[in-house]
Amino acid sequence: MGNVVKERGLVLEKTFVAVGKQLTQAGVGQKALELILIGVVFLILVPFLGAHRATDFAIFCIIVLSFDLLYGYMGRLSFGHLLYVGVGAYTVGLALRYLTTNPLLAIVLGIVAACLAGMAVGAITVRIAGAAFALANLAFNRVGWFLVMSPLKDITGGENGLSIRNLSFWYVNFRNPTFRFWFVLASLLLVFLFLRIFTSSSYGVLLRSIKEDEKRVRFLGYNTQLYKWVTFVLAATVAGFGGALTALNYGYVNPNTLDVHANAGIVFACLLGGSGRLYGALLGGIIYMLITNLLPVYFQRWEFFLGVALLLIVFRFRGGIWGGLEALYSGLAARVKSGSSKEGMSR
Amino acid sequence: MLQVAGIDVAYGHAKVLHDVSLDLEEGKMLFVVGRNGAGKTTLLRTIMGLLRPLKGSIYFDGGDITGLPPEQLYHRGIRYVTQDKKVFGSLTVRENIEIAAYSSGEPLSQALDKVLEIYPKMKDFLNLKAGQLSGGQRQILLIGQAMVGNPRLLLVDEPTQGLAAIVINEIARILKHLKGRLSAVVVEQNLPLVSQLADRVVVLKEGKVTQVLDDASEICNTSLLEKAL
Repeated sequence: MGNVVKERGLVLEKTFVAVGKQLTQAGVGQKALELILIGVVFLILVPFLGAHRATDFAIFCIIVLSFDLLYGYMGRLSFGHLLYVGVGAYTVGLALRYLTTNPLLAIVLGIVAACLAGMAVGAITVRIAGAAFALANLAFNRVGWFLVMSPLKDITGGENGLSIRNLSFWYVNFRNPTFRFWFVLASLLLVFLFLRIFTSSSYGVLLRSIKEDEKRVRFLGYNTQLYKWVTFVLAATVAGFGGALTALNYGYVNPNTLDVHANAGIVFACLLGGSGRLYGALLGGIIYMLITNLLPVYFQRWEFFLGVALLLIVFRFRGGIWGGLEALYSGLAARVKSGSSKEGMSR
Repeated sequence: MLQVAGIDVAYGHAKVLHDVSLDLEEGKMLFVVGRNGAGKTTLLRTIMGLLRPLKGSIYFDGGDITGLPPEQLYHRGIRYVTQDKKVFGSLTVRENIEIAAYSSGEPLSQALDKVLEIYPKMKDFLNLKAGQLSGGQRQILLIGQAMVGNPRLLLVDEPTQGLAAIVINEIARILKHLKGRLSAVVVEQNLPLVSQLADRVVVLKEGKVTQVLDDASEICNTSLLEKAL
């Protein structure tokens, strides 16, 4: 037991060192530019969608980013990721009802609760892989949903959900849609920056190695179970943050927040944008939300288009939209390069 | 340094190794030869902790390492280069080295220097996806990756299998370069290479050690080696 705790401590220490190194080495200017561009994209969305809907989009992007860490980078497909979104959301709702009047403290509690849930579930599920991993997580998600609906319904409100009190505190006013938008946008940028640094570090390289061949990673001295667990917990924590923001954005939490069927939407958004690419997760999140929000206005059976898009991705564009754009860019760059070298030779 | 003492290993009910023993001294190269299915790879996999022997023990530096998982053996200085030449194809060559450096705590620049020392041409491929390397280059990358940290014992499975003659020479040069710097157990069917590099040859036949050659004149005699198979 002592050894396991010591080893977990070493893994965490190594992770912090890797992330810290990346933070100090990588171009600050480039990262700032990336954040500004993402911010601009969401600002452009506001006049078309309204602040509340744009906030919803940004929260969904946070959840997809957290899922991408698990699936896109580490190669573990989970059908139970919404459990942590639900834990974050319900903790915020319950904390603001029974514990505190400060929404910021409630968010912290939501994040901690999702982290703890991730630690407990991850300790069991990271031991398995493939379909078993996906289904075990789905089972835990189902258990969470059942707890909310039945044994805990006196405090969660069961099917009726839970309205959130105390949405404003001091200068923090989650009743104001503009405030919510800016707060969530800042949160999204923070999450993106953190994951950008994290996935570019040696730890990120390790995650991609685990995705490719876990056995060989063990030959290089890694206790892969521990690294998978740390990553699982991190993904759950970020998802919990998304859940906490969802609760504050709606001022209401209901069991749909952790509906197991809605996991398909996160998986779909991740595949659509391009898994294993943070920009892919952002793009997938935005496009998926556009499809699910706008298509129903024009088509009664709009899900048909989602199905066709998924088939196209599976059979033709495995890297998703962002992967396709990357391939297009590198193809064009190679053509320009070969064109200029031919020109040089003819001279 | 490494002592395999009378191990029996089985896949399910099928026993593959029968009472296999071998001894390796510090800084020496031991080659395991034998026909296909003789149990050579099984022997390496057992030393590396991927299989647990039914009986017998494995000692490294006097300590019992029988059945210890690969990640623990790595930190004791044991490196395993598999025969499938599988690198992390979606990562760049640099990242393949970085992943080994991160594990051993060695600075990346130092790790890169170690790899470039054994194969300077790798410098041109550092930013290339490792999946784009040729079979020989992958093999060299794997050996280079194993050199990161403080390796003491190298387990190499069929390093020249399926490679062109020119690449085999390159790998022979690298193994010669490593000789004396660390200990190695190499599974190999290329007898001229064995006779060039081995300090000791163990012949495996149907899971049993049938012969151990220590004498340089015997090892250099490839026809004798062939007869032993």
